[in-house]
Amino acid sequence: MDHQSAAAAAASPADPASKARAAILALSSIVTTIPASLTSSENPALALLHDPDVASQVSSLLRRPDSGSGDDNLCRWLYDSFNSGDPDLQLVVLSHVPAVAGVYLSRAAQRKPHAGFECVLLALYAHVTTARGGQSVTVTLPDVSHPSVYHETRDSSVKSIATDLNLAVVSPSLEPHGSVRSSRRSRIVGVALELYHSRVAQMPVASKIDFLEFCVVWSGLTGDPYKDDAGDIGGDANGSPISSQGTGSGRIPMPWELLQPVLRIVGHCMLWPAPGKEKERLEAAAAAACRSLYARSLHDIDPNAILATGSLLRLRKIGSDSWPEVDHTEIPSQNVIVLSSSCGSLSSLASEKK
Amino acid sequence: MPRSQSTEFSEYGDDSSVREVRANGFCMKTTEVEAKLDEGNIQEAESSLREGLSLNFEEARALLGRLEYQRGNVEGALRVFEGIDLQAAIQRLQPFAAEKQTSRKGRSRSESQHVVSQHAASLVLEAIYLKAKSLQKLGRLNEAANECKSVLDAVERIFHQGIPDVQVDVKLQETVSHAVELLPELWKQAGCYPEAMLSYRRALLSQWNLDNDCCARIQKAFAVFLLYSGVEAGPPSLAAQIDGSYVPKNNLEEAILLLMILMRKFYLGIVQWDASVMEHLTFALSLCSQTSVLAKQVEEIMPGVYHRIDRWNTLALCYSGAGQNRVALNLLRKSLHKHERPDDLTALLLAAKICSDDSLLAAEGVGYAQRAITASKGVEEHLKGVSLRILGLCLGKQTKVSSSDFERSHLQSEALKSLESALILEPNNTDLIFELGVQYAEHRNLDAALRFAKLFVDATGGSLLKGWRLLALVLSAQQRFSEAEVVTDAALDETAKWEQGPLLRSKAKLRISQSQPLDAVETYKYLLALVQAQRKSFGPARSISQAEDDRDNEFEVWHGLATLYSSLSHWKDAEICLAKARESKAYSAEALQTEGIMYEKRGQIHEALSAYINALLLEPCYVPCKILISGLLLKMSPAALPVARGLLADALRIEPTNRLAWYYLGLVHKDDGRMADATDCFQAASMLEESNPVESFSSVV
Repeated sequence: MDHQSAAAAAASPADPASKARAAILALSSIVTTIPASLTSSENPALALLHDPDVASQVSSLLRRPDSGSGDDNLCRWLYDSFNSGDPDLQLVVLSHVPAVAGVYLSRAAQRKPHAGFECVLLALYAHVTTARGGQSVTVTLPDVSHPSVYHETRDSSVKSIATDLNLAVVSPSLEPHGSVRSSRRSRIVGVALELYHSRVAQMPVASKIDFLEFCVVWSGLTGDPYKDDAGDIGGDANGSPISSQGTGSGRIPMPWELLQPVLRIVGHCMLWPAPGKEKERLEAAAAAACRSLYARSLHDIDPNAILATGSLLRLRKIGSDSWPEVDHTEIPSQNVIVLSSSCGSLSSLASEKK
Repeated sequence: MPRSQSTEFSEYGDDSSVREVRANGFCMKTTEVEAKLDEGNIQEAESSLREGLSLNFEEARALLGRLEYQRGNVEGALRVFEGIDLQAAIQRLQPFAAEKQTSRKGRSRSESQHVVSQHAASLVLEAIYLKAKSLQKLGRLNEAANECKSVLDAVERIFHQGIPDVQVDVKLQETVSHAVELLPELWKQAGCYPEAMLSYRRALLSQWNLDNDCCARIQKAFAVFLLYSGVEAGPPSLAAQIDGSYVPKNNLEEAILLLMILMRKFYLGIVQWDASVMEHLTFALSLCSQTSVLAKQVEEIMPGVYHRIDRWNTLALCYSGAGQNRVALNLLRKSLHKHERPDDLTALLLAAKICSDDSLLAAEGVGYAQRAITASKGVEEHLKGVSLRILGLCLGKQTKVSSSDFERSHLQSEALKSLESALILEPNNTDLIFELGVQYAEHRNLDAALRFAKLFVDATGGSLLKGWRLLALVLSAQQRFSEAEVVTDAALDETAKWEQGPLLRSKAKLRISQSQPLDAVETYKYLLALVQAQRKSFGPARSISQAEDDRDNEFEVWHGLATLYSSLSHWKDAEICLAKARESKAYSAEALQTEGIMYEKRGQIHEALSAYINALLLEPCYVPCKILISGLLLKMSPAALPVARGLLADALRIEPTNRLAWYYLGLVHKDDGRMADATDCFQAASMLEESNPVESFSSVV
């Protein structure tokens, strides 16, 4: 994927920075204000990615009631920027995927044309399809009774490893789509989210939070009953009854092809929050999203989703219960330090470990 | 740490609480040295150590650094460590190692030297390690990582063959283990994920002689990194791969492998149980939809870790996720027993859901669903709608096996009632809307069914095939065939090529209903081409279940064509198609039925009868053949009337809305002279005829 886009960038006469500057110039006619520092920056695309002000302007434009139509300039800009082939500009586009996907899916029932959103999503889908050659992504599940790079087995009666392995399809094969047929909508958005997940470590926090908030909307449930203080998961807690069940209007069908990439992103946000001042906000948003999705999976009685979301919630609980963790890399504190010198192999005798 | 601070002020104390340093048989109180350090006089502190303990420069410095570090004065420690040329010290260590390597055989001669080199190495390496720790605490993570890395580089240079198991200095081993564990953490904290990934692999793939706990911690940390960091690691380098062993090729595989190895260590008792490992594994495996593998892992957990009910419930989720609903239900029956945890809502709902798929279990499911309704209170009240919905489904399914008309209509109205009350709680639940549509359709309340079918298509934005199909079938039941065809065409537009099969089949049947057999043939031909292209394009690599689906699809196309030709009395074509159908599925009641019809139409009554009977032998509940046999019996002799009547009654028990069954029953009554009964039956048949869909409503579920 990177290889390709790098090749594309090399082939074009413009260098990435000037490409990004051109993109920022184009964007300045769409949003109201763009700080001048962006264009003068050494890497304008990355500066744009991490500019919270522009990002929030774009995000609110995407949520306007008339957004996403075929002649939406912003969607056109996203489409063009992604197809510019510059990896950093593509990151900027990806950082807006949560808003695009979120608004698009929530409005899917309204039967209004959203050609603008669909163009952007199809561009992402096509990108992944080309990068993967349309192939499926599979996982060969290990069988620990056979040796692996990380372990040996005492029983070395070498059976062929291929015998007992399970092949799991993580993402099925992709066929090219020129338009969004409604029955493929979830899949196309799901693939766009897979792409988002593959770059999620580089995404700004605001983009992740956008995404997590849409998870709550999509699930159509608040998930409040599963807050940590509302008792154990699955246990009968004696909390107050929920006055509003929160069955929101944004509820969308969540087939596995959409839910699976969603869960991967939620897992990242919940258990791998980048350190920084917004860490707590991100964690809270992730937990809220996870609770909503857990409630939704109970409503759908979907065993896979119950297991996945339930395990995330329990991991969060384990994490918050056992904090602060012991630092195993700290040296033991000793009152008597014995220097092992040339005469002694007695080094450990007098040392007292804490 | 707190303890050492408290002892600082205590004048007396037993030996171990006095803070002192010992070396070369000498002993010094640390307070003396620390006092000098506090004055900022490193050199003086150093020289007093050198004199007092007869140490060389580096040893003294290393010791000072350690003292500072242990006091929590990391900046001071760093200043001290920066005074030592650690790299040079490492350089000096290497000749020993080289010598050691070459003189392996003459062990006794090199023994003392070996010990010397280890002690020296231990001291220097610990100093570098503490420097790294100090830098970490000061937030200079990149520098810390580089220092820490140099510890490992040095160890690798000194011990070419990996660290020997025996004769290794405890202190040295400790430092090495610490450094191995710290390095990836430092890269991680510094945000250098590729380096972190490399150092995790380095930790786990090289021989560091780590103890079990340390190794397990690193394995878990790496698995967490792989699962959640969002950075694709790529497969381990070729150098690490051993013939015949499993090599993971992406993040998920590698994470699952590590977690499974950890699970194995738990049950072998090598390391202590850590609940989070199981949760990470649950997450990873359910992402891959491999809950059957997860079930195996859960089964292998030692008794006493999880409560048995939790284990049963988790297993039930796993098995149900893997499609083994019967196993799941058996487990749930145990966990929902009145002596276990009879009010567990998740378990109740899952059990009821499983039961709702099977008409023979539906009555049991009704019980679970009713308990779920009672249990959904307090914080779980939001599940009341779901419980009601599942109750409706179970009741609806139960109608299929009810023995009397009275019971059936009662169940049907109860089912609708509970679905409707679920709808009040969850007006936006699309599944529920769909299920209401199907229930109403089966109840032949076509107006309501149409309303819900339309609502479902709108609410899902037309994204689900079953919505379109239900809408088309309801329209066809209302005898609005051309509209049904328009809907089917719209659905075809919204559906990718490979999923068009069921729609095309409906379309062909719609065309037959509109007496356009030639158009229907065209549709079938297109469908056939599609099915065959699909089989070829995916090649032999498809899974068994997919291959079975392909066969079923192809069978249905050929069989549909055979039926069509036979209705047109094109016997030759019909026979060819039937033969093709049998290539995909040798034993099929449907094929036998068509064969029988062909015989019957050509007047070969006995052959026809035997074909029908064979079909019933294959599928004892196959309604169409029961009806056809009764039809034949009716023609054959009046003595067979009671048999025909019995068969028809049986058919109507299974499919109460089968218009042909009513029609033939009417004929039986007529032949027997019961005119009033006959009239009723004919009336029922004609009413049903007016509301008959081209395919059964249950085919869309």
